[in-house]
Amino acid sequence: MKKNILLDKVIMLFISIYLLLPLILTFIYSIFNEWTSILPSGFTLKYYIQVLTDPLFIASLLRSLIISFIPVLVCTLAMILVFYVTTLYFPKLERIIEILCTIPYSIQGIIIAVGVLSLYSGIGGMLSNRFLLLVGTYCIIILPYVYRGLKNSLNAIHVHTLIEAGQMLGCSKPKAFFSIILPNMLSGIVVSMMISISMIFADFVIVNIIGGSYFQTASMYLYKAMSKSGQITSAIIVVLFMTTLLISKIVTNIENKTKRKEK
Amino acid sequence: MKNKKCLVALIPFLLIIVLFEIAPLISIVVKSFSPVDEVGFTLEHFVKILITDLYLNSIKGSLIIAIISSIVGIIISFFGAKAAHSDKKIGKVFRMILNITSNFAGIPLAFAFIILLGNTGVITLFSKNLGFDLLNVFDLYSINGLILTYVYFQIPLATLLLLPSFDLIKKEWKEAVELLGGSKFVYWFKVVIPNLLPSILGTFSVLFANAIAAYATGYALLSSNAMLLSVRISEQFVGDLVQAKEFGSALAVVLMVIMVIATQILNRIQKHFKGGIE
Repeated sequence: MKKNILLDKVIMLFISIYLLLPLILTFIYSIFNEWTSILPSGFTLKYYIQVLTDPLFIASLLRSLIISFIPVLVCTLAMILVFYVTTLYFPKLERIIEILCTIPYSIQGIIIAVGVLSLYSGIGGMLSNRFLLLVGTYCIIILPYVYRGLKNSLNAIHVHTLIEAGQMLGCSKPKAFFSIILPNMLSGIVVSMMISISMIFADFVIVNIIGGSYFQTASMYLYKAMSKSGQITSAIIVVLFMTTLLISKIVTNIENKTKRKEK
Repeated sequence: MKNKKCLVALIPFLLIIVLFEIAPLISIVVKSFSPVDEVGFTLEHFVKILITDLYLNSIKGSLIIAIISSIVGIIISFFGAKAAHSDKKIGKVFRMILNITSNFAGIPLAFAFIILLGNTGVITLFSKNLGFDLLNVFDLYSINGLILTYVYFQIPLATLLLLPSFDLIKKEWKEAVELLGGSKFVYWFKVVIPNLLPSILGTFSVLFANAIAAYATGYALLSSNAMLLSVRISEQFVGDLVQAKEFGSALAVVLMVIMVIATQILNRIQKHFKGGIE
């Protein structure tokens, strides 16, 4: 039995080393001038200063944040309205909504992006606006996650009891939904929004196909930097990775808070 | 009548679904059977895929990499999840590492491996100093390199997905097997693994789907030299080539067909084993 426990530790150690090594090396690479012998030499933060003072980088980072946020907001609002209709009036629609929302999960993002671009690019008018196409495509990509998140938080509360209680106290159905049910779902909504934001933030394939040179995000800036300087590239990676970690940190904080509340 | 009015609230959702999910999917299928810039029906795009080495090799490459990286990933993750399950204290730290590294994928991942194992990578230089040329044995810019990077992003995902299923294992099972004189082998292969099989296969299908469509890692490592279906698809729409919508759509249909077949096979296996247990 003892031997087994030791083996477990060794397994976890090896996997952790494999997973952490590339991450740590990228970080070390970004804070040294040179790494041509065994140990790196010349500690410096100049690559970070260079990256963070490059207006092109800041602009692309802002674009990334904007394009991560807008589709999530649009998709979440649309889904809230859907759940408003299905929980209060047409529960039978739920089934078909679920199918529509889970299709993107089994169809890869690259396929949807290709479909959207080949259908709308070059037809002119509002629909050929690349930003709009990106927003729409991302809405579909995150749809399964937004749907799941909202559905789970809806399942966690006693919707019908709450609405009945509200009605008995003289509150209309819609008012009960938006002033009682929705606030109770809030933390679940925020969590699924954050998860979706970090998914879009890290995306390269879709923005590369649809955005092209029209809409440069941080991951495209990163791809271009790769051919220029290793140190700058690793500094960008660290900055972007920290941003992603910050987002997931917020998610776990909210999740922990709600768990504590439930207890 | 009053209830019907509220259906207006479905309009934003339906608009998004029709414009960006249903219409594009139909358009891909229709375009893949359409001749270039003409109305009509043709199989020429699919014939071209089947007789061109570049496309066949890319499909083969994607399949090989997806299958191998998923199998290797799931085996390593199985032991990882088992270890994290039985050693709760270190398992907690391990879980944290998995959560952090699950965010590390795509271009950053490819770049990290380049500075680690690329032509002037840290480990490559280190091994040269020891008088041993790593590049003779392992080339990052090859299918092996792709598999190594793919396994990297499969492990956190697979382990996190497998972990909850280990909670299903009951202590009594082990006692029962021991009581009946079964060996450890019997316990693991006749009791635990068959019981975990649904979640193992489910995880496998997530890994496979994840790998078959993965693009950024391979593209960042090998750019258009990557023998990957996803790279072939996207290059029909971006870059120097003139957009080849119809041909690109046909390649996308191939990817969809692969996904459907893979899901069907996994469902069959799952059903087969389910029948076995009951």
